[in-house]
Amino acid sequence: MSVPPLDPTIHAPARLKIVATLAALPEGDALSFSRLQTMIGLTAGNLITHLRKLEDAEYVATEKTGSGSAARTAIALTRTGRVALDDYTAALRSLLAGL
Amino acid sequence: MRRTSGIGGAEPQIDDELDPRVAAGLLEQTRRAAERDLSFRSPWLTAMAAIVVLIAFGAAWLSVLGQRPYQGPTWVALVVLYAVVLVRVITVALAHHRARSGISGRTTGQQRAEAVVVVVVLLAVYAVMAALLVAGASDAIVYGLYVTTATLLALGTVWAARSAVREDWLQLGTAFGFILVAAVSAFAGPYGVWLSDGVGCCIVLLALSLAQVLQIRRDRSAA
Repeated sequence: MSVPPLDPTIHAPARLKIVATLAALPEGDALSFSRLQTMIGLTAGNLITHLRKLEDAEYVATEKTGSGSAARTAIALTRTGRVALDDYTAALRSLLAGL
Repeated sequence: MRRTSGIGGAEPQIDDELDPRVAAGLLEQTRRAAERDLSFRSPWLTAMAAIVVLIAFGAAWLSVLGQRPYQGPTWVALVVLYAVVLVRVITVALAHHRARSGISGRTTGQQRAEAVVVVVVLLAVYAVMAALLVAGASDAIVYGLYVTTATLLALGTVWAARSAVREDWLQLGTAFGFILVAAVSAFAGPYGVWLSDGVGCCIVLLALSLAQVLQIRRDRSAA
């Protein structure tokens, strides 16, 4: 039986942490950029870079509200992102079972 | 939904090589840390609730114990009851605020709606209490059997409905526990209902606290 490949978009430490953290929220909920940054422990720049990659794959969606000092960015895992994480977890299990 | 452009400065992307075993460990560790951070529930908070409910109902029971005829809990007992409940509410509110900080979306609206439902249900319970007094019901019925049983049944039912919708079976079992305690305690009479409710709810909450501890241990061993 062939082992499915690991999704390279998720298979990076920072992005894996982002996706796993957002997946802990119920579907339809979003996390503020600052809270996500605190929970994951990345610099703002690094977090943005990884979020862009996840956004390009349509795994996360971000929404910016307000302006100036009141600006707030909320990040949510999309349905596609949840499915991708489930597939990634299944692939990881298959891979580890075969080792 | 928009992109995150314009927040801070972009830094070079780091895509470290990741061993599958390390990835599995990281995934589980992050998932558990996130669930812990985002939840305000804890075995300690639940155990504290068990103590609170025992003190609150216990104070009311002690105050009615020697009353002939029955008049209901004294002001001192009510002050103790509301004080410990207030401490509990503040503790939960602080834990909830810390856990929910930075979270927006559907469940935030749901929780507001649930809070409104609880307030409306409690107001209805107390409105019926006033109606019973007007109808000439005795103090033993109104300030003993009714107020304890109806309040517990109403809150238990709201809790059960909420837990069923969220498919939270542990909380649903706890809510059923409260409903059972309320129904059975009604047979203890106006004096005994306070003690029976206090001890019953305390046992239900301690059982929930133990179940939460076991759940945490099971999650850890599965990791």
